Amino acid sequence: MPDSPAYATYKMRLHRRVAIYVACVIAFLLLMAWAEQAGLSRFWLGPIFMFSSVMMYAAIGISGRTTDPEEYYVAGRRIPAMYNGMAAAADWMSAASFISLAGGLYLQGFGGTDDQAGGLAYVLGWTGGFCLVGLLIAPHLRKLNLYTVPEYFGVRYGGRWPRVIAAFATMLCSFTYVVAQIYGIGLIASRLTGVQFEIGILLGLGGVLLCSFLGGMRAITWTQVAQYIILLLAFLIPVSWLAYKQLGNPAAPLVYGAQLGKISELEKKLAQDPAEKQVAAVFLQRAHEYEARLQDIEGALQRERAQARARVRALKSQGADSALIVQANRELAALPKDVPSARERWVKAMHESYERAKPLGGVPLHTQPFAGDPGGTAEEASAFTSSRRNFLALMFCLMVGTAGLPHLLTRYYTTPTVAEARSSVAWSIFFIALVYLSAPALASLVKFEVMNNLVGSSFDALPPWIAQWAKVDASLISVADVNGDHILQWGEIHLGADIIMLATPEVGGLPYVISGLVAAGGLAAALSTADGLLLTISNAIVRDVYSHEVKDRMSAEQRVILSKFALLAVALIAAAVATLKPGEILPLVTASFSLAASAFVPVMVLGIFWARANRAGAIAGMLSGLGITVYYMLLNSATFRAFFAMVPGEDLWFGIQPLSAGVFGVPTGFAVALAVSLAGGRRASLTTAQT
Amino acid sequence: MIGRMEQPQIPEKHDPRVLGLKAGLLALWAAVSFGVCFFARDLQFMVGSWPFGYWMAAQGSVLIFIAILVVYATAMKRLAPADSLPEPGSADA
Repeated sequence: MPDSPAYATYKMRLHRRVAIYVACVIAFLLLMAWAEQAGLSRFWLGPIFMFSSVMMYAAIGISGRTTDPEEYYVAGRRIPAMYNGMAAAADWMSAASFISLAGGLYLQGFGGTDDQAGGLAYVLGWTGGFCLVGLLIAPHLRKLNLYTVPEYFGVRYGGRWPRVIAAFATMLCSFTYVVAQIYGIGLIASRLTGVQFEIGILLGLGGVLLCSFLGGMRAITWTQVAQYIILLLAFLIPVSWLAYKQLGNPAAPLVYGAQLGKISELEKKLAQDPAEKQVAAVFLQRAHEYEARLQDIEGALQRERAQARARVRALKSQGADSALIVQANRELAALPKDVPSARERWVKAMHESYERAKPLGGVPLHTQPFAGDPGGTAEEASAFTSSRRNFLALMFCLMVGTAGLPHLLTRYYTTPTVAEARSSVAWSIFFIALVYLSAPALASLVKFEVMNNLVGSSFDALPPWIAQWAKVDASLISVADVNGDHILQWGEIHLGADIIMLATPEVGGLPYVISGLVAAGGLAAALSTADGLLLTISNAIVRDVYSHEVKDRMSAEQRVILSKFALLAVALIAAAVATLKPGEILPLVTASFSLAASAFVPVMVLGIFWARANRAGAIAGMLSGLGITVYYMLLNSATFRAFFAMVPGEDLWFGIQPLSAGVFGVPTGFAVALAVSLAGGRRASLTTAQT
Repeated sequence: MIGRMEQPQIPEKHDPRVLGLKAGLLALWAAVSFGVCFFARDLQFMVGSWPFGYWMAAQGSVLIFIAILVVYATAMKRLAPADSLPEPGSADA
């Protein structure tokens, strides 16, 4: 389509500004690298990166401030397809993608273990979902000139309930998601600057608020473009460097195949290594100890307490060093307080020890799809089936959830035309793929580095980054000389998923500037997603609930102002929830995908493609889909089971893990919406004829 | 604005050619994601230095997803040229 001259000039101006921005970012990096060379302390680099990036996003937010509703809600509907795609990519790639994805691929290989699916299911799910977005949903919503996603349900089905239910489902899944993002912001900020977790959250939140509070969608769009560029650089520079170092070619996604073969060789070697077997035997013994304790929790707990007390007494009577006594007292205090918490902790410890007693410390073979063996024993065959089934279920939930997440769908409301919305989806997946194709490469390169260089080194000569990161957070990385031979074995390293990305620059021996950039990239990923989510939630509250249900005579400007304050309130609540550290990032995010998939997708797709879908069907479909998903997740959550005094453990249907509950919710939603629409169809047409 | 919310709106009419295109592309989507992953264990033969199943899941499928969306956006420009025009009443560019 030939653009109008005014639009063409506008686009030219945008290209120029983005080019200047990229040049500035690179100049800043070079300046920092020079400053590091010249002796600027590492202690300052992290905070400088954090403050300058957050300030820059805030500056973009301030320059994009607006109270015009068209600008605030949909950025004036004039964002060119490519930049909209870039903004959607940043909106999409959350802290989970940026920080945890590569680590997940490292720890889970192709598809995870038989009781935890993962690995490439995330890569496929988070990209493949865009086919559904582009083919089935985004252009059709764009055609209706809407402002929010719940509004679609109001427009298509009429009445109040489809819109209200959709608005509450939007709040539910976006809120789960935004808590995970703010949690990520707190983690990164506290690592970057060494401040407390809570202060880190507040600092990051300030950046988010300045931007979305003042300028709504318009400001968010351009900060997201800026954040995409940072996170792309932050991902690609370390990956390319590692690839260049190991393989002599920086194009990591094209060349890392060579390392896959070597990793398989090393895996075989490690599985045969006698020292590794010793380590595994120690873990197996520990697992048996925990299992024995679990037989009689009450007694074991009393024994543990008595032993700890005796140790304290003995130390005191010997007049031992006070540090030792404090240590012993701390151990006594750290013992579980009561039987349920002891059970929870020991069950976890037992599982972990059993896991680490497996070959390769429980890490699946890197390129082998799924656990188990279809041609092996009955147990191996069932592990294989369950692993494959859960992989496919997870992929399904992530894909369908992508097509239902409101903060992503609203991103395609901002293009000038329907055709641009279609191109914009294609641009989005292109920009996302730039990162996602490199993530498996990064996982393989780091794995090779660890297996080939780190394993087998002496405990006295460990690289300094291990101790540094272990000090920041022991769940990120811990090494312990389990079998006492002073040599580091694969089985003695315990990694959290997040460390892979965060420590890559140090693993590859890059200057500390790149570590700062990586952390800034993680921050950008979390901030951009949090921005989009907060805007979506506050718009659902104000546009779809408040202005219809509570006060329906409101000027457009009043509504914008109200949206801004709702946004502030939601941000503070989410931050308050995030400081409780409610769980890990990845499970929270996955749960919100299942929720979005089952609440929105069936009724949205039927509404777009099936003229007979009606209001009753929509209400029933959304409620039943969401209901089944929530029920299945709660049914298998330990806290919920304990609360209702149910038998501890899980109650799985077809062995599907609770996070993939959408696999039941989506078909239920479709079936119920279809059935109720068909049953109610005749009656509805009769009433319409009468009125 | 508020008024149109209360009454259901009849969904848009779909061109059968467009529906055919969507169905074809979605079939391809399902084949390269669910199809390939279901049989991934049997696709472990090597192509160059890559195990084929791993390569498909880590890269091949993603590249095909991009191709699907590019083909769709391009084909739709021809099938529905009206979609490329700015709608009347929308904000000026």
